[in-house]
Amino acid sequence: MTLKSIFKPDSIAVVGASASMGKWGHTLLKNLLNNGYEGLVYPVNPRETEIMGKTCFSSVLDIPGPVDLAVIAVPSSLALAITEECGKKGVKGIIMITAGFSETGDEGRQLEEQLIEIVKRYNMRLIGPNSLGVVNSHTGMNASIISRLPHRGGISFITQSGTLGLALADWTMEMGLGLHIVVSTGNKANIDDIDLLEYLAEDPNTNVIAMYVEGINRGREFIRTAKGISKPILAVKTGRTKSGSRAVYSHTGSLAGSDEVYSAAFKQSGIIRVENIDDLFDSALALSVQPAPNGKQVGIISNGGGASIIASDACERAGLIIPPLQQETRENIKELVSGFASARNPVDTAGLATYEVYNGTVRQMLLDPNIDAMIVIYVHTVMWDSSIPARAIVDIHRGTCTKPIIACWMGGKGTEKGVDILKAGGLPNYPVPERAVKALASLVKHHGFLENVKGGI
Amino acid sequence: MDMEIWDRLKDENIPVLPMRQVSTAAEAVEAAKALGYPVVMKILSPDISHKSDVGGVVLDLGSDGEVKEAYHKMMERVTSQVPGASIQGVMLQKMARSGLEVIIGAKKDPQFGHVIMFGLGGIFVEICKDVSFRVTPVNREMAQQMILEIKGSPILGGARGRTAVDIEAMIDVITGLSRLLEKHPEIVELDINPLVVYPKEAIAVDARMLVD
Repeated sequence: MTLKSIFKPDSIAVVGASASMGKWGHTLLKNLLNNGYEGLVYPVNPRETEIMGKTCFSSVLDIPGPVDLAVIAVPSSLALAITEECGKKGVKGIIMITAGFSETGDEGRQLEEQLIEIVKRYNMRLIGPNSLGVVNSHTGMNASIISRLPHRGGISFITQSGTLGLALADWTMEMGLGLHIVVSTGNKANIDDIDLLEYLAEDPNTNVIAMYVEGINRGREFIRTAKGISKPILAVKTGRTKSGSRAVYSHTGSLAGSDEVYSAAFKQSGIIRVENIDDLFDSALALSVQPAPNGKQVGIISNGGGASIIASDACERAGLIIPPLQQETRENIKELVSGFASARNPVDTAGLATYEVYNGTVRQMLLDPNIDAMIVIYVHTVMWDSSIPARAIVDIHRGTCTKPIIACWMGGKGTEKGVDILKAGGLPNYPVPERAVKALASLVKHHGFLENVKGGI
Repeated sequence: MDMEIWDRLKDENIPVLPMRQVSTAAEAVEAAKALGYPVVMKILSPDISHKSDVGGVVLDLGSDGEVKEAYHKMMERVTSQVPGASIQGVMLQKMARSGLEVIIGAKKDPQFGHVIMFGLGGIFVEICKDVSFRVTPVNREMAQQMILEIKGSPILGGARGRTAVDIEAMIDVITGLSRLLEKHPEIVELDINPLVVYPKEAIAVDARMLVD
């Protein structure tokens, strides 16, 4: 069954809506009302008659029209009865914010089983329990406790950790990253990673899927599903410690820890496993806004030699190649930059950061058949205006450029003007070369030019 | 149980070293002659999993006399080291020619089911942990990726004057193990260690498995 009722509902009931600040039922209602969501929103709470200017219903059964989605934030002792009412009402989707289920032990597990029995009986779908909600930035639906609606963009984010995930979604705004769906999966009692991947694979607004994973159920089906998806999927998997204390019988038993198995499973799924949260969003950004490269040969330009050496080293570690430029390219670049500069890859402009040098050199390098992607570095000094080289490459990017360009504007405060131009121009920018290279490596890897080959199942 | 794994490997056309199971010294001599010297003798007991720790493995036996003596001494050693152990006899194997030792193993993971591991043997696996994994089923292409993925893979191709070993034969073993695992979901852990690889073949020299 489709998850449309969860992600694109026309009407939402907030069960446990509250007029008291600090209660989750308050935050959820406020977030749904204040972020431009155009569907119908119904507060439900038997002790209130009106909240935030909206008529409050004592039960979902009292709501006059149909209800697609119920966001439930009530004590766990009431959760089953409320879910039953939702079923009777004909609610299609539930986001269960309420905690106190399988994450708390055996008693909670039993409660969760009963909850799922009700959900299935009424043919509903459920996110959670113990979820912190769902966001759809394109419809303005903030059915979560996240404080602001993220910028709109093509990255959809599945997070198993509620608070951390939502803090990250908030942080993406500082990074200038655009998100589409954010979903806090909670206990994954009904809708799990596989369901979400299937939905997001078909979702026209999602072009990159980022996952924060603690553990996966239905491992083999997960591999099969992910392998069939052509959109890039990036994952951070936490909990890298060895599992189990059982006496070791074999070498394989001692070496095949859960983390190694996850790495293999991700590789077979075509999922790019990244090491940490920085990498997750850095890579997601590059994948969401840049075209596919045709190989792994990288051109680098910088107005400072040191930065380009760092970038070259990082490329080599990541398996990317820094090829020589063709004779013709080198000669054309020599005409653009002063006699002191290196017209070899990585190109060093010997400090120059004019529009002509950056625009002309990057253009020449992109025309070179040896180059599949560009890393453009600008190291800020007081002599230059960071916005000028930024404009120089945004103008190329806006043209007919089919090769990826990754920017790295180094130098903190003075680079802000340039960074804003890069962001507005759809160029992924990173503050240090290592991050730029890792993001580019993920892009190259997704398009099959670095190891990470799908296979099996 | 101890012998069962060999039959399973043979069922999937995984080459194993010729071997005989015997329960007297006289049988041991006959078996050794049939296999051809030199031979290796290993204790067979469901109560002993680490055979060499209790003196249950003797290598390079070159004559009838050595085999007979080794049999009696092994029985004495093992019964004194592990009193009360049930002993089914010994297994005689033809001594393997030296070659490149690799390990191919399997484990059942709670989330993903069976996974296969590949690595270079000996200290490479124990100290460097230079191994690769795949969730089963593993086809030939995936098996080849597993082999090429380890850091030490140039050794297999004959780096630094070594002779290149038979990669296709290792692929055969990995895919054979994958089929074996599909037929036997009860297998929890399995090691083929070592699989000795030569320029034109690969032979399982020792193997063990744990079932549910």
